[in-house]
Amino acid sequence: MATQKTDVVIVGAGAVGGIMAAELGKAGIKVVALERGPRLQTKDFEPHDELRYFTRQDLRPNTKLHPVTWRPNKDTRATGMNSLNNGAQAGGGTVHYGAVSWRFHEDDFRVRSSTIERYGEKALPEDSSVVDWPLSYADLEPWYDRAEYELGVSGKAGNLQGRKIDGGNVFEAPRKREYPLPPLQMDQSGLVFEEASKKLGYHPFSTPRAILSQPYNDRPGCTYCGFCQAFGCHVGAKSSILVTKLPEADATKNFKLITGAVCHRVNTDNSGKATGVSYYGPDGSDNSVEADIVIMAPFIYDNVRLLMLSKTDKFPNGLANSSGHLGKHVMAHIGTRAFAVFDDRHINIFMGPSAQRHCVDDFNADNFDHKDLGFIRGAQVNVSPADLEAGPIGTAMRMEPPPGTPRWGAAYRDFFAKYFTRYAGLNAQTENLPYADQTIDLDPNVRDIYGMPAPRMTYDWRRPNERARVEFLGRKLEEIGRAMGAAKVWRPPTNQGQPGAHHQGGTRMGGDPKSSVVNKYSQSWDIPNLFIVGSSTFPTMSGFNPTLTIQAVAYMTADAIVKRYVKNPGVLLA
Amino acid sequence: MSKIHEESRRAFLMGTAVGAAGAAAGATIVAEAEAQTKTQARVGAAPAVAHGTGAGGHGAFLNDDDLATVAAYAERLMPGAPGKPGAKDAGVSNYIDLALAGAYADMGDMYRRGIAAIDAYCEAAFKDKFVYLKPAQQDEVVAAMEAGKATGFTWPSAQAFFNTLRAHTMEGMFSDPIYGGNKDFAGWRLVGFPGAQPTFTAADMLSNKPFTRVPTIGLQSRVKAPAPARRG
Repeated sequence: MATQKTDVVIVGAGAVGGIMAAELGKAGIKVVALERGPRLQTKDFEPHDELRYFTRQDLRPNTKLHPVTWRPNKDTRATGMNSLNNGAQAGGGTVHYGAVSWRFHEDDFRVRSSTIERYGEKALPEDSSVVDWPLSYADLEPWYDRAEYELGVSGKAGNLQGRKIDGGNVFEAPRKREYPLPPLQMDQSGLVFEEASKKLGYHPFSTPRAILSQPYNDRPGCTYCGFCQAFGCHVGAKSSILVTKLPEADATKNFKLITGAVCHRVNTDNSGKATGVSYYGPDGSDNSVEADIVIMAPFIYDNVRLLMLSKTDKFPNGLANSSGHLGKHVMAHIGTRAFAVFDDRHINIFMGPSAQRHCVDDFNADNFDHKDLGFIRGAQVNVSPADLEAGPIGTAMRMEPPPGTPRWGAAYRDFFAKYFTRYAGLNAQTENLPYADQTIDLDPNVRDIYGMPAPRMTYDWRRPNERARVEFLGRKLEEIGRAMGAAKVWRPPTNQGQPGAHHQGGTRMGGDPKSSVVNKYSQSWDIPNLFIVGSSTFPTMSGFNPTLTIQAVAYMTADAIVKRYVKNPGVLLA
Repeated sequence: MSKIHEESRRAFLMGTAVGAAGAAAGATIVAEAEAQTKTQARVGAAPAVAHGTGAGGHGAFLNDDDLATVAAYAERLMPGAPGKPGAKDAGVSNYIDLALAGAYADMGDMYRRGIAAIDAYCEAAFKDKFVYLKPAQQDEVVAAMEAGKATGFTWPSAQAFFNTLRAHTMEGMFSDPIYGGNKDFAGWRLVGFPGAQPTFTAADMLSNKPFTRVPTIGLQSRVKAPAPARRG
């Protein structure tokens, strides 16, 4: 058992942890970060191998060691889920993510007010828990800008200080300046999608991604190999935290990374202050780090789980939980999908960065009139492979053949042989409203290899608002598919309520300690030297991928700690 | 044709073939399976199933009978035809056998129980083991499992074992040959996948033609990096 002291301890060296470590370290603050996985290098990511990395999830948390369970409702027993966006190595999920990097819309931060203003209070589903964020797009704009430039994001502006620009996202919130890098190379699927969406009067553009379209900051541009989501980048063109902020943190000389370290408790004293964390080392030893500030930065599951497991007599319902909202209002994107197959062309969708290549934002957020549609909010609509990557195993598993074609046998073989190189997937990444009974708690039946209860999600997206939205968007996907000139367009069946991608919520931020877990600086209302940073704090989720917003919030929080908190420790930031 | 035979045949056609297009697809399978039966009849004593393993024929995990069952089953899921490599051509059973001896070691019991349940079902329905059934009969068994209608399964359930065999067959067809399947890139040739290419050009990305610029690359056909230089 080892004990060490530091100024700040960070749990998790991923999207949040890497940024906090570098920014605090640069300010002369001593940082220790705990990472449960290893620290890999770019050279470890070659060769690419679909079976190893995608099918067998070699870069993702091993669900046998770190199970996470799901049940549709509280009357059923939970079963194990696959890992998806969470990470298990230094750099976290950004090592294997698709690197899609959005700024949220202005109205994504004020869903409650903007819905009421436009449609009246009745438009909000009664059982939902939709609220405004305690911060605005304008608060985050400088930090979005910083993240895009420091990490390296490729894209084209669609709204420069209010001036709309064709070819960028004309629905985006105003940005102060252009992206640091031009958009990534378009592929055949993007080309066909672009022509079709224009014909339909929509506004297609290249999805902004934290992947270098040309050399930047001593890293090379993308080689378009196609082994992207679920894989580490073999040239370091993906702007993961592993190749961006962790080296920056190293250079401060104030940063120490402990790998193979599994945090099992956040320690607090009788005065109600956090005193540090305890962790298991790779040898099974039980160790601790004492720190003036504790920053929780794992995926949402462990943010919730660790706060629950760290309960004390003073905090009997778990840390940071005087509001009773810990573990509630959990959300996940709903994957609405369609497939388009072509007889007149090859698409070769196995080439290029796999995630959300080309897209339209016409049906996201409140970018279209929802009057009489029976639902609020929308989805980010894009052309993508059948699964998160585009190799033949993933495609065989996830491209459900059209109605009338079996899943096996000669007819299936002929279908797959013909269309593997001639299909495009269409995807509507659909926003999920928060509901208080979509939760994470401790599974009473399943434990991880350290004996800790597994995080358990109770979740079913199939509510009236969400169902109506999925149906609406499914039809839009079919419309786009037909306009692409496809020989056949079909929608696979939706799932049985399982959470899709980008799990968020569980430690929501707000302006009132009675109804939220943290304030706008991701700071616990109850324990001011405890910061809980990441998408677990998001009160609503947007149809956009969360990572760039997670990173912008991390920059903003780090800045507030450096400039204000350390000068006045214990104060609640406002 | 037994009663169960007839029922599972109906279940198969209903489970997989909905509407006119579906009926046609179902008919394709049946026609091809019958053609295979005739081929086998012509060669007389040809075994129902050939091993996917190497010359020695010994599996890494499965016993010979179970390996033959897995090979026959995989061949029904992805049947070969002239110019269209199937599971046998790709060595899918070899892939599965090696995986059960390695990465999927914890699934050995599932396979043993699942194979035993398949054979028990086949004995009840057709009075013979799966490997000795005609391809058309084998298809009926597979369809009954997919639909969850095959009886006598406990754990794994018929559907769960079908799904596992389908997933592992796809892995054996399309994973890199170092894992024991996708022999001579049979699976990749079938669908037109060029393997782990390190680079695609802008012209490749925009093309609407098949990608043929460079040969298919497997993990062991990559250009190896030079050995690291020694210090000093």
